[in-house]
Amino acid sequence: MAAVDLKRYAAFLKDYTELRMQENRTIGIGFLNGNNTGNSRSSSRGVSARVYRQGSWGFASSPDPSDDSIKAVLSLAQQNADFLHAREDKGQGPLPSVVAHLEKDFSTKKPRLSQKDLLAYAKEVDNYISTEYPDLTSRSVGLSSLEIEKTLLTSEGSFYRSLIPRSFIYINLAAQANDGPVEVFDLHGGLGQFEDTLPSDEVLHSMIDRLYEHLMRKKEGVFAEAGVKTCILDAKLGGILAHEAIGHTTEADLVLSGSVAGRLLNQEVASPLITLVDFAHTAFGEVCPVPVYVDDEGTPGQDVTLIEQGVLRNFMHNKESARIFGVAPTGNARAYAFSDEPLIRMRNTAILPGDSSLEDMIASVEDGYYLIQASNGQADSTSEFMFGVVLGYEIKNGKLGRAIRDTTISGVAYDVLKTVTMVSDQHWWSSGGMCGKKQAIPVGMGGPAIKCQITLGGR
Amino acid sequence: MRHGDEVAQEALDALLKAGADKASCGVSTSVVTELNVERAQIGLLRSTMNVNVNLMAIKDQKKGSVSLNSLEPSAIDRAATDTLAMAAVSQPDPAFDIAEAQEPASFESGAKEPDHDAMYDRMKEFLDTVADKYPTIMLRQAYLSFSRHNWSFVNSNGVDYRTEQGVYRFNALFSAREGDEVSSFNYTGFSMRDLEQELLERGSLDIMLRQTTEQVRTRPVKGKFMGDMIIAPDCLGSFLGFLTHPLSDRPLISGTSLYKDSLGEKIAGAEFTLHSRPVSSEIADGYFVTGDGYAAENSTIIDRGVLKSYLLSLYGAKKTGRERAKNNGGAYVVEPGTTPLEEAIRGVKQGVLLVRFSGGSPSANGDFSGVAKNSYYIEDGQIAYPIRETMVSGNFAEAFRNLKVVSKERVDFGWSILPWVVVPGITISGR
Repeated sequence: MAAVDLKRYAAFLKDYTELRMQENRTIGIGFLNGNNTGNSRSSSRGVSARVYRQGSWGFASSPDPSDDSIKAVLSLAQQNADFLHAREDKGQGPLPSVVAHLEKDFSTKKPRLSQKDLLAYAKEVDNYISTEYPDLTSRSVGLSSLEIEKTLLTSEGSFYRSLIPRSFIYINLAAQANDGPVEVFDLHGGLGQFEDTLPSDEVLHSMIDRLYEHLMRKKEGVFAEAGVKTCILDAKLGGILAHEAIGHTTEADLVLSGSVAGRLLNQEVASPLITLVDFAHTAFGEVCPVPVYVDDEGTPGQDVTLIEQGVLRNFMHNKESARIFGVAPTGNARAYAFSDEPLIRMRNTAILPGDSSLEDMIASVEDGYYLIQASNGQADSTSEFMFGVVLGYEIKNGKLGRAIRDTTISGVAYDVLKTVTMVSDQHWWSSGGMCGKKQAIPVGMGGPAIKCQITLGGR
Repeated sequence: MRHGDEVAQEALDALLKAGADKASCGVSTSVVTELNVERAQIGLLRSTMNVNVNLMAIKDQKKGSVSLNSLEPSAIDRAATDTLAMAAVSQPDPAFDIAEAQEPASFESGAKEPDHDAMYDRMKEFLDTVADKYPTIMLRQAYLSFSRHNWSFVNSNGVDYRTEQGVYRFNALFSAREGDEVSSFNYTGFSMRDLEQELLERGSLDIMLRQTTEQVRTRPVKGKFMGDMIIAPDCLGSFLGFLTHPLSDRPLISGTSLYKDSLGEKIAGAEFTLHSRPVSSEIADGYFVTGDGYAAENSTIIDRGVLKSYLLSLYGAKKTGRERAKNNGGAYVVEPGTTPLEEAIRGVKQGVLLVRFSGGSPSANGDFSGVAKNSYYIEDGQIAYPIRETMVSGNFAEAFRNLKVVSKERVDFGWSILPWVVVPGITISGR
C-alpha cells in the first residue's frame, strides 16, 4: 500500500472522526480434477472517514488515495453526519475516549513465494492425491490468502498501522457411494502468509491420507438418528459453538436489539465447566489467528470474558454501546473493507480447555455421536443455533462406530451448555471461515471438545 | 475521475501489447448512498465510491486474472504485465476462451442519482408505521441504499458493452419482544427502481413483520413425523439455490451433479416452471451482460417440471461439451400456480410452513437438514402455532420432483418473483 502520512490530516478531524487507509489483497489458486481452474490476484484499497455528531454518524469512502480525495472524503463524512443531525438531533453525549499508538506487521520474514511457486505447490498436492487415490470421483485443491493492511488515525489521537495476513490450503475429496456422491474437506493454515503457513509434505500427506480414510468410511456411512443425543463435539465444533451460538448473543448491539443474553447477565447460563473468552490478540501465550491489537475506532483490544465458570459476565462493545452501558469499550469495532464502517464483531472466541482426555470422553458415551467437522453455522438472538456437520461417527458402548452422513445439529445454546459434563484438555483454533454480519470478516474460533446433549437432524 | 470505457480499452491494449493471445477487461464504478437504522433510529448515512478493474489474459491456452481498484495508467500497466506473468506460469487448458464478437451495445436502467430526501422520508415513514402497527417489533438493523453501477466490458474479439444501472435496495433484520420473551430474528429485503411506493407495501416486509410479532411464544413440534412443507417465498430463494447449484460449472465439471444426465427429464412437479429473466422489465435488479461478456438473455431453466437448461459458463460449456447458458442465472421468476395459498394450507394434513431455513448446504446427493426458523406447525389444514427447536430434513431433489402445489400469489423482491410451494415427504422432528 502506498505510504500516506495520515497524521498530516489531524487538523481536519473536527467532531469525533476516524480516518482509515486500507488495502485488502487476495490470492486464489484452484485445481479441480487436475484442471487449473483458479489463478488470480486482487487488490482493493482506499480511504474512508467516519464522523460522529451527537448520536448521528456520517461515513464516506473513496478508492482514490490522493490528497484531494482524502480531504473530500473527510468533508463528505462530515456533511453526512450533519445531514442526519439536522433531521435527527439525538442530543447524545460524547463517546468514551481511549487512545492507542501501535504498529503490528505479521508479514513473512522469509523470501516470498511467487505465483509460479504457489501453482507448482498446488499442482504437486493435486498430483499426490491423484496418484495415491485414483478411485476418487473428484478432487480439488485450493490456495487462498487474504492480507489486510491498514492505517488508522482518530481525532482523539489514536494511531494504528497493521498488516494482518491469513492463508490456507483447502482439500476437497469426493467418492461415489451407492446412493450418490459423498464429500469430505479439510484445510490447513491460519495467521501468516503462505511462506509461514504452508505445511510440510509430511503434515500435508498425513492430512490427505486421514481425509481419504474418513471419505471411505463416510461412503459406507449411515444416517444419524434424529433426536436429542449425547454427543462429543470435537474442538472444531466447540469453536463454532462459542462463536455462533453464544458469541453473537453477547455483542452489545445485539443485546440492545433484544438478544436473549440481555436479561441473563450475571446469571448461570452454562455448566460451571464452561468459561468462554473473546481474545483480542493473545491467548495461551501465543498470538491468536486474527489478532486485533487496536480496533477500527482506535481502542486497544481487551480480552472479554463472556462466560466465567458458567456465569454470563460481560458483553462485547464498541465506543457507542460502551457509552450506553456505562462501561469501557473493549476493542471489538471492526470493519472488513476500506469502504465499510466498523461494527461490533468478535475476534478470537474460545471455550477454555478443561481436564478430560478426548479418549475418556468418547469412552464415557454408551450411545451417541462423535461430531468432528462443521460446514457452516447460524445462530439466533434467542441463542437457538444450527451447524451443518459433515464428518462424524457413531459411538456405541464407548467406542467409535460407523461414520455418519451429513447432518445438522441444533439447540438452544444456553440450554445445551448447561448439559456439558466433560471438557477436553486440548485446544484448537480455526480461522478459515468468515463471519457474516452485514459485512463478512475473518474471525478466530477455538475450543476444546465438549460432551453435551444436542439435537441431531436425520432420517 | 477517468471514464471506465477509456480505462477498459487501455487495459485491453496493454494486455495485448504484453503478449496475450486473447484478453478481456471489465471496469466497474459504483457509487452507493446508504441510510442505516439501528435500534429503530436512523443513525448513519454512508456515501461510498469504488472502482474495480478486472483483467484476464490467455496465452498458449494458459490463463491469468488480476483485479485492482485503481484507474491510474501506471497501475493498469503493471496489472497487465502481472496478468501475463500469471498466465505464463499456470496450467494450460483448451477450454479457456473469451466470448466471440457481438454487436457493441449500451444498456441502461433505473435512476441516475439518488433522491436523498425521499430516501430519508421513506425510511422515517417506515419506522413510524412499524412503531405504530407493530409495537413489539425491535428493528435490529435496516438500510435503504441507492446504488449507481456503471460497467464497461471489452475483449479482444471485439466485444464492447456498457451498462449503467441505478437501483434502490432495502433490507431489514428484526425480532419481536414482549417483556422478557423474545422471538427469533427474521429478515427480508427487496430492490426497486424508485421510491414511489411505501416500503412496507413492498416485497414480503409486512407479512414478515406481522409473523414475527406472532412468534414471541413458540413451542417445539411434538415427536417426529413425515409431512408436507410449504416453503415461503423468502425461503424459496435458498431452495432454488440448492436446485440450481448442481446445474452450474463445478458440479457438472467434477461429475458430482445430481442432474448431470437430466436435461430433458422431469426434475420437478408439473406445475413448477422456473425462468431466469435478468433482462425482463418485471425484474428491477437484473443484469444485461454475463460475466463472460455475452449479452444476457432471459431463459427457462425448468419448464413444467422438465429441465431445459444448465447454467454453464463459457468455460463450463467447453469443459463438459454442453451448451453455454444464456445468462448467469439469478433473477429467478417462478410461474404462479392456480391454488390460492389459503387453499394450499387447507390441503396439508400435517406439516410446516417454512418461513426461514437455518441449515447447511445440502449434500451432493441432495440430502438436507436444518432448523425451521420463524415457521409454523400445520395440522388438519390449519396453521396451529409458531414453532421452535424443530428440524426439517429430506432430499431436495425428491422434494422438487414430487412438488405438489405452486401458489397463485407471488412476492416481487425486485431481484426475483417467487410463490409459496408445497413439497411432500419431509421429516419433521421436534421434541
